Amino acid sequence: MPIEQTSKEKARRLSSTRVGGKMVADYWENIFTAKERGKHVVWYNGAALNPLFQAAGLEWCHGEAFAARLAAQHLEGPAQAAGAEYGYIGELCSYARTHLGCAVLTHQSAAERETGVVGMVDQQELASKLPAPDFFVNGYAGCSTGQQWDAMTYRVFDRKLPLFNVSIPMLWGNKPDAGYMRGEEWDEVGKYVEEQLRELIAFLEHQTGRPFDWDALSESMSYIKRASELRLEGMALCTQAPTPATYWDWVASIAPINFLPGNQGLVDYFAGVKAELEQRVAEGVSAVADERYRVYFDGIMNWNKLGFLTRKFAEYDVAVVAGRYTHESFWQEPQLIDVDNPLRGMAQHYLLCPLNHGLKNLQELLLRRLDEYSIDGIAFHSTRTCRAMTNPQTMLARAAESERGVKSFFFEGDVADASFYNDELFDSRLEAMLEAIDVQRMKSVG
Amino acid sequence: MGVDLGSTTAKAAVVDESGALVGSSVVQMGAVSREAVARAMDGALAAAGVSQADIRRTISTGYGRKLVPGTDRTFTEITCHARGAAALHPGVRLVIDIGGQDSKAIIVDDDGLVERFAMNDRCASGTGRFFDVLARALEVDVSAVGELALAGSETLEVSSMCATFAETEVISLLAQGRERADIAASVHKAVAARTLGLVAQVGKATPTVMTGGVAKNPAARLHVSRALGHPVEILDQPQIAGAYGAGLLARDDYAGGSGSPAPSDAATEEQVQVSLSAGTPHCQDCDGSPGHPHPGTGEPVPLELQRNIR
Repeated sequence: MPIEQTSKEKARRLSSTRVGGKMVADYWENIFTAKERGKHVVWYNGAALNPLFQAAGLEWCHGEAFAARLAAQHLEGPAQAAGAEYGYIGELCSYARTHLGCAVLTHQSAAERETGVVGMVDQQELASKLPAPDFFVNGYAGCSTGQQWDAMTYRVFDRKLPLFNVSIPMLWGNKPDAGYMRGEEWDEVGKYVEEQLRELIAFLEHQTGRPFDWDALSESMSYIKRASELRLEGMALCTQAPTPATYWDWVASIAPINFLPGNQGLVDYFAGVKAELEQRVAEGVSAVADERYRVYFDGIMNWNKLGFLTRKFAEYDVAVVAGRYTHESFWQEPQLIDVDNPLRGMAQHYLLCPLNHGLKNLQELLLRRLDEYSIDGIAFHSTRTCRAMTNPQTMLARAAESERGVKSFFFEGDVADASFYNDELFDSRLEAMLEAIDVQRMKSVG
Repeated sequence: MGVDLGSTTAKAAVVDESGALVGSSVVQMGAVSREAVARAMDGALAAAGVSQADIRRTISTGYGRKLVPGTDRTFTEITCHARGAAALHPGVRLVIDIGGQDSKAIIVDDDGLVERFAMNDRCASGTGRFFDVLARALEVDVSAVGELALAGSETLEVSSMCATFAETEVISLLAQGRERADIAASVHKAVAARTLGLVAQVGKATPTVMTGGVAKNPAARLHVSRALGHPVEILDQPQIAGAYGAGLLARDDYAGGSGSPAPSDAATEEQVQVSLSAGTPHCQDCDGSPGHPHPGTGEPVPLELQRNIR
């Protein structure tokens, strides 16, 4: 074994996720031409309402997913500049700010096309390629920005387009019988959101002029359910040490599970991911060359830093094995889905957004993951423009330490704005946590 | 030897085999200055009456820790300040380090080791930089702002969120004809407010000490004490706590190891795997048997830390 390994070798990303990357790239390339193909386009953010749009025969555009894509490709600049020029401040959720900039550019491009300015459209950045919406659907749990975001894009498009709001209440967790997926509150709000979805379906029928295809909904949800099961089976393989995949691999798989059409391709993708994990386990291949520390990542992903953080943690022999953003979201409770009657299960999933829980439930979820994945420490990404995600983090850190003795560190960053990140501060704090873990290990005598 | 190469000063400390501080030096120059660290190391050696050849192990810390010549290992300031403060003030529980560009609150356990910590966010308010800004605006030497603040009241509102905004406020207050002493006192109160917020993340505990250059500022200590609601104990040499802690870690590393840096080889790998599965006792006097008493002196427990050298 070589005495020193490069950081590139230390981080062994899954190769199967590249298939998902291609699927996502093809999805966006296809949607860019939606209007030319005469399709109805809906813009939405937050909750994965796409199965409903698919059953309604629509093409759908998840704004924050596109913002994440731009940031991951380091192409967010033009969109954020457009957003800033339009008037959106730098402290606004950078998902929203980026997507709002895209909205501005899309609207501007559409106007230029109408004026017959030849060649201008070809010169535009990726950020301007989103097809103009026919209407908006807002369904965003746990986030005040999310509630207003679609209202803002509605204004960018001159308030001329319909906007439907799906109300998704917060899971307060303050009733005596409250807990994760249990209690009176859980039953009540599930019914409420299901009714909201029925009203949304009526709206979609009105917008499209055709009846909603319930069979298509059942079909797509059956694929999504299976894909989710495979994803969870793959995640379960990462409870062992060393882990065959890291949080960064699951981040790379967010887009497929979040908004790609429910079809066999989606199932095949996650079957491929799981198969690669099984092969790694069988061959003893670990995701991090010398896994010495297992870390949980709490916070929304810094999309500008995906590859960078993958290598960074691996340099320190840290395997980031799970995180709130990937593991407490994205159809993570597939057993709730009755494919013949999926609306209730869908409604429940929209409530289970990682931002939408009261502190008690978040603590329950965190402690569960700390035990499940044998976590040594927690990296709290203090996402600068996301108050919803960061509000409970200090209390979660305390709970982790008091209940499990698990150390943590905080670093600042952001979802789509790299200027909030500082590398030296990150290094110092991560190292300090690892030093504390080293001490903790030596003090615990078997 | 322990070396702390920071954003505004370089500190070095020489520690003997008993853990006693036998020489130290503080040099103020530019950020992570190689010249400053060389002078600090030479100064500490001279103060200790030894030469570089007598040094068996060097550990460095601070932002410039990887630039320190001849360092055997690096550790973060959090670990080193905790260690140094616990040695300078046995039994300490809360260490507040206000440095040139960052500030830290560290809860220290009974053995002088880090239990948990918090650091300031990316803004320099609440750090030594804040006092540099104040000194420049008030046209006094930074070493004199403390005494000036002690002479003033604290009735003026100064931003505690941003050092740059605070400078603007100070200039505005001067333009209004406000007393410089009052302005200085108000700035100190703002820094203490930021510090309190940091301490809130780890929890208050006593005894509390301050380390770092700002700890020498009597007004800073006073206002932090008021904010905390309990006294801040005074260390003899707060500025070298980090370097002293690094020196103690160097002493432990040398005493506990084979005398040479551990290479990344199969033997070390195996040792690390053992340590991952079950903790290994590393108290110097421990025979590994349950019930073996720790030394009850309140002194920090010497450790052998097993992280590979980076």
